[in-house]
Amino acid sequence: MASRDIHGIDAPWGAFRHVGRDLRKVDGLAKATGAAMYTDDIALPGMLHAKTLRSPHAHARIRSIDAADALRLAGVHAVITGEHLPVTYGILPWTQDETALAVGKVRFVGEPVAAVAAVDEDAANAALKLIRVEYEPLHAYLDPFESLARHDPPIHEGRKDGNVSKHVHLAFGDVDAALAEADVVIEDDYVFHGTTHAAIEPHCAVGHYGADGVLTVWSSTQITHYVHRALARVLDVPAHRIRVIQPCLGGAFGGKSDPFSLEFVVAKLAMTTGRPVKMLYTREEVFYTHRGRHPMHMRYRTGATREGRLVGVDATIVIDGGAYSSYGLVTTYYAGQLLTGPYAFATYRFDSTRAFTNKPPCGPKRGHGSVQPRFAFEVQLDELASTLEIDPIEIRRRNLLGEHTTTVNGQRITSNGFARCLDVVEHASNWKTRHGQLPFGRGMGVAGSMYISGTNYPIYPNPMPQAAVQLKIDRSGLVTVFTGANDIGQGSNSIAQYLVAEELGLALDQVRVVSADTDLCPVDLGAYSSRETFMVGNALIDACRKVRPLVVRAVADHWQVDPSRVRFVDGVVVELDDPPLQPAGVAVGGEARPGASPPDAAAGRRWMTAAEAFQLAEARFDTLGATGAYNTPTLGGDYRGGTIGAAPAYSFTAHVVEVSVDVETGRITCEKVWIAHDCGRALNPMLVAGQMEGSAYMGVAEALMEAHGVNRFGLHAGPSLLDYRIPTTVDTPELAALIVESLDPEGPYGAKEAGEGPLHPAIPAISNAVFDAVGIRLKHLPFTPGKVLAALRARKDAAAGTPAPALAGGAR
Amino acid sequence: MLRLPRFELRQPTSLGEAVTLLREEGAGAMVMAGGTDLLPNMKHELFTPRVVVSLGRVPELRGITRDPDGTLVVGAMARIAEIASSESVRKQAPALAQAAGLVAGPQLRRAGTIGGNVLLDTRCQYYNQSYFWRSALGFCLKKDGVVCHVVAGGSRCVAAASADCAPALMTLGAVLEIVGANGHRTVAIDEFWLGDGIVNRRLAVGEILVAIRIPPTPPGHRGAYGKLRERGSIDFPLLGVACRLDVGDGDRVEHGDLVLTALAARPKRIPQAASRLVSTRLGTEEFRAAIDELGALAHRQCHTLANVPGDQEWRREMIPVYVRRTLQAAAAGNGPVHHV
Amino acid sequence: MHLKVNGDVHDVDAPDHWTLLEVLRYRLGLTGSKQGCDKGDCGACTVLVDGEPMISCLILAREAEGREIVTIEGLWPLHLARGGEGPDPVQDAFDRYGALQCGFCQSGMILSARALLDRTPSPTDEEIARALSGNLCRCTGYTQILQAVQSIVARARGVEPPRRSWEAANVGRQAGER
Ligand SMILES: Cc1cc2nc3c(=O)[nH]c(=O)nc-3n(C[C@H](O)[C@H](O)[C@H](O)COP(=O)(O)OP(=O)(O)OC[C@H]3O[C@@H](n4cnc5c(N)ncnc54)[C@H](O)[C@@H]3O)c2cc1C
Ligand code: SF4
Ligand code: FES
Ligand code: FES
Repeated sequence: MASRDIHGIDAPWGAFRHVGRDLRKVDGLAKATGAAMYTDDIALPGMLHAKTLRSPHAHARIRSIDAADALRLAGVHAVITGEHLPVTYGILPWTQDETALAVGKVRFVGEPVAAVAAVDEDAANAALKLIRVEYEPLHAYLDPFESLARHDPPIHEGRKDGNVSKHVHLAFGDVDAALAEADVVIEDDYVFHGTTHAAIEPHCAVGHYGADGVLTVWSSTQITHYVHRALARVLDVPAHRIRVIQPCLGGAFGGKSDPFSLEFVVAKLAMTTGRPVKMLYTREEVFYTHRGRHPMHMRYRTGATREGRLVGVDATIVIDGGAYSSYGLVTTYYAGQLLTGPYAFATYRFDSTRAFTNKPPCGPKRGHGSVQPRFAFEVQLDELASTLEIDPIEIRRRNLLGEHTTTVNGQRITSNGFARCLDVVEHASNWKTRHGQLPFGRGMGVAGSMYISGTNYPIYPNPMPQAAVQLKIDRSGLVTVFTGANDIGQGSNSIAQYLVAEELGLALDQVRVVSADTDLCPVDLGAYSSRETFMVGNALIDACRKVRPLVVRAVADHWQVDPSRVRFVDGVVVELDDPPLQPAGVAVGGEARPGASPPDAAAGRRWMTAAEAFQLAEARFDTLGATGAYNTPTLGGDYRGGTIGAAPAYSFTAHVVEVSVDVETGRITCEKVWIAHDCGRALNPMLVAGQMEGSAYMGVAEALMEAHGVNRFGLHAGPSLLDYRIPTTVDTPELAALIVESLDPEGPYGAKEAGEGPLHPAIPAISNAVFDAVGIRLKHLPFTPGKVLAALRARKDAAAGTPAPALAGGAR
Repeated sequence: MLRLPRFELRQPTSLGEAVTLLREEGAGAMVMAGGTDLLPNMKHELFTPRVVVSLGRVPELRGITRDPDGTLVVGAMARIAEIASSESVRKQAPALAQAAGLVAGPQLRRAGTIGGNVLLDTRCQYYNQSYFWRSALGFCLKKDGVVCHVVAGGSRCVAAASADCAPALMTLGAVLEIVGANGHRTVAIDEFWLGDGIVNRRLAVGEILVAIRIPPTPPGHRGAYGKLRERGSIDFPLLGVACRLDVGDGDRVEHGDLVLTALAARPKRIPQAASRLVSTRLGTEEFRAAIDELGALAHRQCHTLANVPGDQEWRREMIPVYVRRTLQAAAAGNGPVHHV
Repeated sequence: MHLKVNGDVHDVDAPDHWTLLEVLRYRLGLTGSKQGCDKGDCGACTVLVDGEPMISCLILAREAEGREIVTIEGLWPLHLARGGEGPDPVQDAFDRYGALQCGFCQSGMILSARALLDRTPSPTDEEIARALSGNLCRCTGYTQILQAVQSIVARARGVEPPRRSWEAANVGRQAGER
């Protein structure tokens, strides 16, 4: 296994042919013409439709379930309850606390209790109404502080620590001493409300059980491999008899990265009935499934010298986890572990506690665990800047972490383009002539962030590759890539095509990608932690570099030249001059047609098509193919939890946002966001920009509009896309994606991530811009007009009465 | 999918046929125009009619025409988008055109009708939910239950009138033409409402709204609509303000009106609007004082409730702001008042 | 019932309570029209009815009888039938401009854009944004979608589409790259 191979950042044949260009996606036209198949587009002969009965109680014991009437209904084929699927599961091996259908107890409104398979959805729905469940309601915990204060009755029985889902306390250096000596300390409370992913495709799964005992599950998942493992565990079917396929996926953002009830249910129902079974969640059910961004209550103390240098950061965080663990253990670490860049902290301490509550379970959403603390901290930093009368961009520059260094909590930093990100947004937004100088009601704010590009930690500890691929080289001239990676719209299949075409010197249409099918593809852990481009990209290059020499050798021997004189360019193989020069005169870009003669042929150079070259190689070395793999180097701090948050590379982002505030209505309008993001190398700048824009949009939405929560009755406050308001075209600010490339030494051609990092700064940058616009500090999300008006009134009252202290936390 | 409950669809091709069908089917039938309110509500099992009578094929209900006396006759099946872009509506009834232009999103404005908008079911965050959700809550007065979750202990439903066009039509003195088994009747839109959120309009079972008659407005007529909502598209109003200023010689207001919606079961007129505005001159201090005062009056007279989702205190605070801005816009011949 | 979809008349059997979206997807196998909410909130199910974008999850299938329905699957063949080459220019521009991330919103989005351009060949940026304001996209932040439509308008006007932020501002690039 070629783990830890560093492939370099240079083009394999001299100059890049595909990388760095705004290329189309492999599946773009399939999506644009409606041909792409998503999970709910699958219809199998004889397929049944399944529906879920859900808990109307936030917390209750199940006394009895009677499904006799439902089973008697015409068209109903099966009803299952928790007793049919009693085995627990969970994304993390340490916290397997979920069951597909409730066993004994329900812990939030909307939790699955029973499932029906029927001839159609109408019959299944009718059957649900006939299932009688007797509940014994229990006290429902809707507030994490209450969960921590008492746990009788507990949400999960048999735990030593009551309703505590996870507690982490880590300290690096003597924070108390540092803060005591600091010239200035900012101390305040920050609240991040909950938000959810709201991918437009609702979750869907189809199960098929063959008479041969092979179980196939198609699912709208971003983690095929973990679903595979979980199915084997819960259904007690050996993994080799299970096949999981992710069809085209309609958005995920972390919301499809747990194994979910429906996947087990369709599998079980297919096994029970001998018929294929589909379950499609309604939008409302998607909101109950949730796993969205955790609400966090955060207390931060940040100390600095008079010059604005950070001496210590101290955080206490209470996390509202919802009813189950999901990724909560990791979230609790991430809430602290991911804050230690892009600024150097001299000392740091965090204490984070995740509490169970009787609400839909929270989990990972784009920027998992770190968006909330980032908001709090970047607002603190801004307050520090205004207190010390230092320009907000300048104070960030004074604390740069730098590249090829280690953070206070022991994370290895390789490339770091953050300083350039700051330069870029400062320049593009005309910050120097505008910040602090716009008329009242208009303002600009800045914020920065850092995010992991892959994680060194597989979700279940194992020494096997974290990413693996396989190439099939066909005598037709086609290379098929088999990768377990989950393309969730971010374009990982396209990246695979570009990289393989680049490495092997092929035209793009000579590479096709088969992904996320456990029967066909080597294991990849999935689309989370921004790992696909980095890890799968490295695995792809690894595979290409195993097979490329064979083909080159076969051609070289055929021509009886040194292999260094054989070059693949866009699907043709040409003989280079001796000594080798750059392949002069070969048309750049374009979709080269194998068989067409390159311009060099006229110059009397020898050439052949890639297909001919593959045939020579196949004759010589037998069937051509290769596997490739990637594993991160050993990373992380040498302490318990030190590997959580350790990544082979980190991306960096800076935003400047411009807002206007209507002081009469309190409404904040985000006018424009300048997004500078260090993605290492932009393998396809257009796709990178798409990720940056989509991230920034989502951040702005979380700041201004979206709120996911339950009402005072414990019911979801509005489980629809009407009441959970995501911005439309006319609500979205102008987004300027400004790509910064730092060329990471370990990324594929220097690439890092772009899908999650660029979300972070939007939220604090808006708060900071509002301060610039109207002089109020918004610390509780979302920044609703009502809060703005209240803050404006408070400011006015303070101005009228005794002047407010310059520092919220008091200067020392 | 979020399935519709089963029903039988009838598609009459004349008004007479529709009336007969409805008489035959009685309370088990419901009328469908564009279906953009009825169908989501049926998917939530708020209505489970045995028969749905579509008006889609009834030619008598279509079109926007003008009577010889200048009355604008808007067929009940005129689409919201048609109204928003109609030249005659824009001229004669600018507040209506503006309100129509802010209904829902572009696709729904093409399907939704003015009749369906006037007859839009009242809305409430505890009501416009799925059957499951409502059952988990224990239902409410308006449908299947016995309590109100908005007004604790309340014996009356206060679900919000949420149609954008209705308040505009009120400022225009619109008259509704209705046909039923007992024949034809007309009713001034002001007289049409009931204060009951369960059913807020006086339309008997089997009756069909045929057209809306908008009396001619004088040459100096100005009107505007202000809509408070969270997003710039799709969302129902969190507050709607329609106003009218008929301006005569010397920019003097000769008639004024102010109606608010998305508060309680029916749109609310501010009765003092006319007297306070009449004879003030646009652009003067006096006019400014009048609209400020009306804002304050409206604030006093209108209360926001937790029927509509969102921050009800903020909605209340927005009443004077939107009243003032909408009147200003009308005075300036502008509008609508909307944040994007 | 007889439904005219993408130029073909289909004889379909479906109960009265089936929506047009359900019939398209589950009776005719035209699964390009997507469902994201099934109650009018998201626009993923947008199809063209007599040339106008409509929400197919809130139209009863039988109500669509006698109307011309065009779904996303119809655009390319229609374009070819009219003598065009390749996919419909809107589909092509969406692909070319990176507008297709997960793609789930895009059949509705593309049809809304198609109808706009049929109606108003040279819309302003604001008109484009408004015409698409009933189609929610969760992936793109809309920027590349708007750019795709703007590029078609620009071409029709015979001008170059505006440069995109990352092309115009080369400040972030390392010297000598690309
Ligand atoms: C996502 C979404 C957003 C929306 N946003 C808004 C908004 O911002 N503002 C707004 O005002 N509305 C909004 N609506 C509601 C609706 O789209 C409009 O009000 C539309 O105008 C309703 O017209 P329709 O023809 O579709 O009504 P239908 O749904 O067909 O009918 C509504 C009601 O009126 C009855 N009815 C209709 N026509 C007649 C008639 N001629 N005679 C007798 N009874 C009749 C029906 O029986 C039904 O009870 C929204 C809807 C959705 C789904
Ligand atoms: S106001 Fe709302 S909760 Fe109260 S009865 Fe009416 S619909 Fe139900
Ligand atoms: S699926 Fe029809 S609007 Fe969402
Ligand atoms: S591309 Fe994914 S929702 Fe628009």
